[in-house]
Amino acid sequence: MQNNITLDKLKKGEKATIHSFKSNELPAKFYELGFTPGAPIEIKHIAPLKGPMCINIIEQDSLIAIRRKEANLILISRI
Amino acid sequence: MKRKTIALLGNPNVGKTSLFNRLTKLNQKVGNYPGITVDKRIGTLKTNTTEYKIIDLPGTYTLFPSSLDEEVVFNILSNQTNEDFPDLTVVVTEPSSINRGIVIYQQVRELGLPAIFVVNMIDEVDQKGLHIDYPALENYLQTKVLKTNARSGEGIDQLIQNFNIELKPYFGAFDLPQKYQDALHDAKQVFPLATEYLTWQYLAQNSISNLSLEKRSALQRIRQSHQLDIQELQKDESISRHDKIAKNLASIILKKENKRLSITEKVDNLLIHPVLGYVIFFGLLFLIFQAIYSWAGPLMDGIDTLFVSLSDAIAATLPKGPLSSLLINGVIAGIGGIVIFLPQIVILFLFIAIMEETGYMSRVVFLMDRWLRPFGLNGKSVIPLMSGAACAIPAVMSARNIENPKERLLTILVTPFMTCSARLPIYIVIIGLVIPDETFLGFNLQGITLFGMYILGIVGALLSALILNKIIKSIRKSFLIFELPTYKVPDWKNVLNTVWEKSLGFLVGAGKIILAISIILWVLGNFGPNDRFSNPETYIAEANPEFSQEEIDNEVTAYKTEYSFLGYLGRGIEPAIKPLGYDWKIGIGLLASFAAREVFVGTMAVVYSLGEDIDIEDESQKQTLFGRMKSEINRNTGKPTYNFATGISLLLFYAFAMQCMATIGVVKRETGSWKWTLIQTGFMTGLAYLVALVAYQLLK
Repeated sequence: MQNNITLDKLKKGEKATIHSFKSNELPAKFYELGFTPGAPIEIKHIAPLKGPMCINIIEQDSLIAIRRKEANLILISRI
Repeated sequence: MKRKTIALLGNPNVGKTSLFNRLTKLNQKVGNYPGITVDKRIGTLKTNTTEYKIIDLPGTYTLFPSSLDEEVVFNILSNQTNEDFPDLTVVVTEPSSINRGIVIYQQVRELGLPAIFVVNMIDEVDQKGLHIDYPALENYLQTKVLKTNARSGEGIDQLIQNFNIELKPYFGAFDLPQKYQDALHDAKQVFPLATEYLTWQYLAQNSISNLSLEKRSALQRIRQSHQLDIQELQKDESISRHDKIAKNLASIILKKENKRLSITEKVDNLLIHPVLGYVIFFGLLFLIFQAIYSWAGPLMDGIDTLFVSLSDAIAATLPKGPLSSLLINGVIAGIGGIVIFLPQIVILFLFIAIMEETGYMSRVVFLMDRWLRPFGLNGKSVIPLMSGAACAIPAVMSARNIENPKERLLTILVTPFMTCSARLPIYIVIIGLVIPDETFLGFNLQGITLFGMYILGIVGALLSALILNKIIKSIRKSFLIFELPTYKVPDWKNVLNTVWEKSLGFLVGAGKIILAISIILWVLGNFGPNDRFSNPETYIAEANPEFSQEEIDNEVTAYKTEYSFLGYLGRGIEPAIKPLGYDWKIGIGLLASFAAREVFVGTMAVVYSLGEDIDIEDESQKQTLFGRMKSEINRNTGKPTYNFATGISLLLFYAFAMQCMATIGVVKRETGSWKWTLIQTGFMTGLAYLVALVAYQLLK
């Protein structure tokens, strides 16, 4: 169980659950779209050269894209 | 008859616009909210007893705003004196994201507003393998839950019947965290009349534009004394709501397996593939440009013919004189100059609307964000920039999709640098004059130069974005989060409605300004201050006693242009443009070009007394104009007017200068600000002057 990695470190196809957040900087929209503690996620696509990541919020069956800068603020545990 | 206001509220991509179109039967209008450019969509619906005003609020996930659109939602719903404050709010959701819809539903109810709940796209419940216990959902939400399919019209009548519903008082679902109770208590003193939840919202938002300064600073003092971080307040509410809803819905919505997402995933593996995704995107862009050029061409010719015959008809009916000249050369020429762009705009918006409706647009944003971010732009800037290569007018309008106001403004400011189709005729003339028709390493030099001009447009746009990015202050932190919706067959009604709305907006909005400036230019070009303008024949005959009557007649138009107000202006600005290598004749062309670039060629033809109707695609006519221009001697320098240095200087000037009043009009409309419009015009034209100056001085 690795608790201290951030979301941007994951590779395509990896699954994880969201653990907590590094800071309170994230806009409320992130939580509303499903990045909440305990939510299981899967990395579906990553744009080349450190481009945005496309993440599946598994419980909602939704695809959400975020930049790596913000992904770096989200702490996760790999499943 | 009773009048009631109904507001449609919901997340993006839930089919809210289709529902709005159904309810209002396209009986709607689009305006702007005061002071900002967020589209305000209002429609009417009449039943036997009541006339409903229906407002389609911008899509949002929460009442905490993160863009201008979302701010509008909060301002309307939190202020009972707002003219759009609803009597009933209709919260629209779709089957797979009901939980997110409930978040905003609860927020609205806790503000004290009555609301009903709509599950749209009801046909997807089975497709997505869901089972929903509606009575339990109604019980949980303490309201009526309705099922609709906006595309087929199913459930719409039932929804309308419920617009008169009387709801029981609502019991809030959100318990304010204990640690904020003291701060909330203080805030209640500032807002004795507001609901508890509204007070909490005030406390958890930074800048609420519809509160007085006094109240805002009172809130700020409370936040400081209790050491509150608004982000944390918002986060605590979101997570608390989310957890509670997830728990409560577990027994109401049962999930089996999702079939739609697996199809979407397969398509995405191709469309946002790290390599293939880009190949497909650029291929599609190429296709769009082909379509714009080849499909719009004949239509534009048709419009041109139409306006020419209209002019002819007026010329035949009205007696020759100022009135017919004003109508033909001012009004009709002005309107024609706008309408001619309509085919390009319609085709472009057709493609963009289809890309939006299918869900592909979000994928483009995903692919391009990385490449545009270093310039202070956003993935979504790619559409305006690419469209700008056809025409800046629809391109600037398509920047509306960008949520972050700073990124949107930047995109609007730099889009006119892209080489639009109106620059092409000028480039062809000038390149033909000053660049030798020779090959270099197997490539045609003129072709290379033209290609270089296109590259220059892109470089100009990106570098300007880089500079302006440093200057413009951002009111919001740049971040990017968006949903990639499942792929859908477009709702053609929505597509056509969007195209119609945007095209009409262009015609009316930009049209007014273009018409005004066309008339001003006509007045300046058709009146002169003295006898030289009113009696040109006498002066020409005096100066050139050897001229036959025919030669004199040929000179009249050019002479009148020279001594019109426009001609005096041309000579007036000569000192300013002399360092760029231009004479007063080019000056007139430049001034006239501020109406629209393509006017340059026609104006030059007038100035060199060849008659206005020169067709640059006709080889022999082109050679006549070329011959005349090549032999032209600049009376300041004694050298040919169109030498290599002047030519390059002119090319650069036209590449950068803001010389299109239609674009200026649209930018004003889209930014809602004269300040930014003037800064853009000044920045572009200033840059053009500087670059042209340096180029001429180095090359001469």
